Amino acid sequence: MNGNMLISRRDFLAMTAAAGTSLILGMDLSSKTVEAQADDQRQEIFVPNAYLRIDADGIVTLIVHRSEMGQGVQTSLPMILADELEADWATIRVEQAPTDPVYGDQVTGGSVSLLNAYGRLRIAGAAARIMLVAAAAQIWAVPPETCRAENGTVVHIPNGQRLGYGQLVSVASTLPVPERSEIEYKSPDKFRYMGTRRGQIDNSLFVTGRAVFGSDIYLPGMVHAVVARCPVFGGHVAGFDDQQALSIPGVCRVVEIENGVAVVAENTWSALQGQAALEVRWDIGDYIDLDSDKIRQMALDKIAANFVSATNELGIVIEALYEAPYLAHATMEPMVCVADVRLDGCDVWVPTQNRQEAKRHAQSITHLQSDTIHIHVPLIGGGYGRRLRVDYVDEAVELSKIMGVPVKVFWTREDDLKHDFYRPASYHQVRAELDDNGKPISWEHYSAAQPVESDSDLNHGTDVPYLIPKKKICCSSLSLPVPTGYWRSVFNSQNAFVNECFIDELAVASGSDPYMFRMTLLEDSTPIKRVLELAASQAGWGTPLPEGWGRGIACHTTWNTPVAQVVEVSVIDGKLRIHRVVCAIDCGLAINPDMIEAQMEGGIVFGLTSALYGEITLSHGQVVQRQFRDYQLMRFDEMPVIEVHIVPDGLCPTGIGEMGNPPATPALLNAIYAATGRRIRRLPLHIEDLRSVTS
Amino acid sequence: MTPTTIIVNGTTYTVEVSPETPLLWVLRDTLRLTGTKYGCGVGWCGVCTVHLDGQAIHSCSTEIGEVGNREVLTIEGLSSDRSHPLQQAWIEESVAQCGYCQSGQIMQAAALLAAIPHPDEEDINRAMTDIVCRCGTYQRIRRAIHRAVDLEDAV
Repeated sequence: MNGNMLISRRDFLAMTAAAGTSLILGMDLSSKTVEAQADDQRQEIFVPNAYLRIDADGIVTLIVHRSEMGQGVQTSLPMILADELEADWATIRVEQAPTDPVYGDQVTGGSVSLLNAYGRLRIAGAAARIMLVAAAAQIWAVPPETCRAENGTVVHIPNGQRLGYGQLVSVASTLPVPERSEIEYKSPDKFRYMGTRRGQIDNSLFVTGRAVFGSDIYLPGMVHAVVARCPVFGGHVAGFDDQQALSIPGVCRVVEIENGVAVVAENTWSALQGQAALEVRWDIGDYIDLDSDKIRQMALDKIAANFVSATNELGIVIEALYEAPYLAHATMEPMVCVADVRLDGCDVWVPTQNRQEAKRHAQSITHLQSDTIHIHVPLIGGGYGRRLRVDYVDEAVELSKIMGVPVKVFWTREDDLKHDFYRPASYHQVRAELDDNGKPISWEHYSAAQPVESDSDLNHGTDVPYLIPKKKICCSSLSLPVPTGYWRSVFNSQNAFVNECFIDELAVASGSDPYMFRMTLLEDSTPIKRVLELAASQAGWGTPLPEGWGRGIACHTTWNTPVAQVVEVSVIDGKLRIHRVVCAIDCGLAINPDMIEAQMEGGIVFGLTSALYGEITLSHGQVVQRQFRDYQLMRFDEMPVIEVHIVPDGLCPTGIGEMGNPPATPALLNAIYAATGRRIRRLPLHIEDLRSVTS
Repeated sequence: MTPTTIIVNGTTYTVEVSPETPLLWVLRDTLRLTGTKYGCGVGWCGVCTVHLDGQAIHSCSTEIGEVGNREVLTIEGLSSDRSHPLQQAWIEESVAQCGYCQSGQIMQAAALLAAIPHPDEEDINRAMTDIVCRCGTYQRIRRAIHRAVDLEDAV
């Protein structure tokens, strides 16, 4: 097998069941660090955390450890396995793994699922295939070299005799698992599934309404809860009057919990009416004076304190301030969780990207034994990083413990927008110097923002790929009480906006074409140069456009995947229309081009939405936006045509989930500049930025 | 609580809820037809769209007391075997990402095609702009609607 697969352990597979009716192979699909893997290797331990099971009826089941939230992981992972196993796709099933430390890190975030699992799935698939071929050879008493695996069967080549995988598992499960050195892999030209377009495994459930999301969990005896939470950050319940709420038919109880006051009812509608009728007095805490303007000033002061110019001001100096606001995730399915806490254990149904954290929280609230706590992960109505947090799990578990029956905690849209963990607002002072030939000789980027968890978050994607002799990057953390969280691509979203708009400004200042300017500053070997070239050529960069139209380009490497985009807009009578986005991505080996295109489309819409509308503002220590009407999302009639081009010939898959988002905003703003001469440096773009522009 | 009779997907149900209860919560909590989803509760996002006598409406903003003897159709009743051309087209175009809004998208498109069997781009824009998709599947929704028209024509 070629490719730089992330594997460094001695034993990869283990037979995990006694010989019998199924062939079960365990494998390690965890995202352990290389150090942790080496450590395991020294200790010669191997604990499988994902399983391949082939049953006597020929059904092949992959038990996967990651959450599905639309990124297609439950389709792409089995594609890798099924290909190397030479399985019949119709026999492939996927099961969600339970939550267990044995599964390693089960966080679904950072776009790493495929990268981590690729090599190990191929090993598992190949080993099982070899065992099945050996089993057939043993049954027929022929040399294994005369047999071949073919679409869920083993065929004896000379006489065409054939046995299905299901018929072979009882013998195969008595055979030794091959050593890694004995494993022969399929050559890429023999791939039947990898590289083909394949819709999501759950597609027929989605179109019939039978797909089960977290909000669709109903248990016998379950009650419904809606929670009133303090609108001001850091505030607490001082007291409440529940008389009105309790008079609503169906409301059973009003109870204070850690996060606020819960109205518990027989059904959702009663709980919602109860929440509306409830009167809570809040101890609003210390942050009532906090607002967006104050945060902006804090950030600018911090930047000014650090700003020590590295330029010697020999050439042209260009300087600009870029500003990005707080943003909400706004998943279409708001937060929801069902918990059933009993004396002997606890079951939690939660759409989460972080099931192990959910389990830890459930345990700390219930004090139950870890092995009696079960986290079930149904389908997720959008994650984008929001569901890495488990605050809503706490509420359901706490309430079920109090009520002694299963409880569903339901968040309204208002709850969801006002109590998110927000993408931090950030402020960026950038400065560069061009020599007499218009070549950049220095690049400085000073930013200030609240981090998500650690100060290093601010550095995500700050580095520019361009050859500039002097670069200085200085990120400063602000300490603020606003809850912040991981938001699709994290700080790559802000830093790509700043870097790719500012490099555009330099191109303009040097009188160069923005695409050619970038190309001359990139080394030939950088992968980003290839995607930039592909996007530009597919978009017809440089070809004429009608009056009032413009094209903008941007590129960015998010984690390990370079993406470039060209956006075409028109601004006519102050009205912006986004016509077309051409996207090029190098995600290594393209497992499922259909999913890659879908993730690029989704990421681009996410990025364009943030540029056009996304803004969470703070006033009096609370979030101003309450509903979709003031936190707007891009709609159908605004949708541009999106074309996705994938760089061919990769060896190993890299991430796709977050990568479409970061270049979309700067490419859009650069296109608006090309169309209008207006440089927008503050997000989201405002109508007055465009209003006085006429074609 | 007064008994209210409603017809959903051809079946008559009598439910004991207050008349101002939104249809959405009767469908989900009472009848357990969970294919219809909550998105915003104020008729803004369209995710909860169902048909009332063939018209696409927001079930979150329609009180059960207003429904009367008009027929409610939800995603579960669109076909018994996912054979509706839109359901087939949705699978063939691989529309869904997270999938949460897709019941509403399909019901909106179904009302459109029932009214205008051969919609032009503007007809499609006008109808589908009502429903939000955070995953950004709009391009595929457009393609799927065109495909469904073709499937219907081929019959």
